[in-house]
Amino acid sequence: MFMCKDLVENIMSYIDNELDLETLNALEKHTGDCPECMAFVNTYKRMLEITGKLKDKPFVTPEIRNRLRILLKSKIKPS
Amino acid sequence: MEIGFINKLINAIVSDSKQISAVSDEELVRMYAQSGDEGAFDEIVGRYADKIYGFALRITRNPSDAEEVFQEIFLTLSRKLETFRGESKFSSWLYRVTVNASYMYLRSQKKHENNISLDNYAPYDEHGTLMGRIMYKDWSSRTDIIIFNKEAVIIIEKAINELPEFCRTVFHLRDIEGLSNEEVSDILEISVPAVKSRLHRARLFLRDKLSDYFHEWRR
Repeated sequence: MFMCKDLVENIMSYIDNELDLETLNALEKHTGDCPECMAFVNTYKRMLEITGKLKDKPFVTPEIRNRLRILLKSKIKPS
Repeated sequence: MEIGFINKLINAIVSDSKQISAVSDEELVRMYAQSGDEGAFDEIVGRYADKIYGFALRITRNPSDAEEVFQEIFLTLSRKLETFRGESKFSSWLYRVTVNASYMYLRSQKKHENNISLDNYAPYDEHGTLMGRIMYKDWSSRTDIIIFNKEAVIIIEKAINELPEFCRTVFHLRDIEGLSNEEVSDILEISVPAVKSRLHRARLFLRDKLSDYFHEWRR
């Protein structure tokens, strides 16, 4: 019998579309019957969405960039 | 004719014939390593400053430590860019340099992280069910989180920084930088199954942490 544990342990393959058809059907049937697992899948997907957005967040401030520029200028001798 | 002059001539032709932003990383490295083309080096800095600082910050979890590592890496690159041998993608090589430089820095500062183990981390109970564990903290439809405001970002960053280091690096490269399992395996010099295993536990831990934090956060 497909359990919540099976969904959790297969969630990565499910998201990456790597499940075989039999497991996929069992997982989707279970999720349809189990609101806890539905909430798990929804929050899992949402987590991937929001953490993926961090890629666009600038880490380097203009001050950090400027300090690097000054450092490089002082240390690099032109060839 | 002097070789340096020929290289400069070639670089001038390359620069003229296409925008520097369209030049590949590997070509930029060659331009800088062979003739000290500062425009090529500036372009490398522009492309990778955020990635290197962001990754160093993810490992060290401290902005001033990350900046030390960041500066050291670019200083070393400016002097020894020719040590890149082209055996892997330049970006992969640079991420590997960042990992090594970050660990070396932390060791030199005697900063050791007490890593918790996530080997057996799972949200289900001993019967394999999630009963009563997920729904009451379901934040998946909260618009204040989805719009990704400043407070939400602080919470997300806090949760990621609670991951143990060996999971945090994998999570950063795979889910934030969007690299493939194979690229992460190459950078961290661990197997692809190890990448997948660490990523799986990292995501389970992070989903739980975010649920706790967002549950407590104002609505």
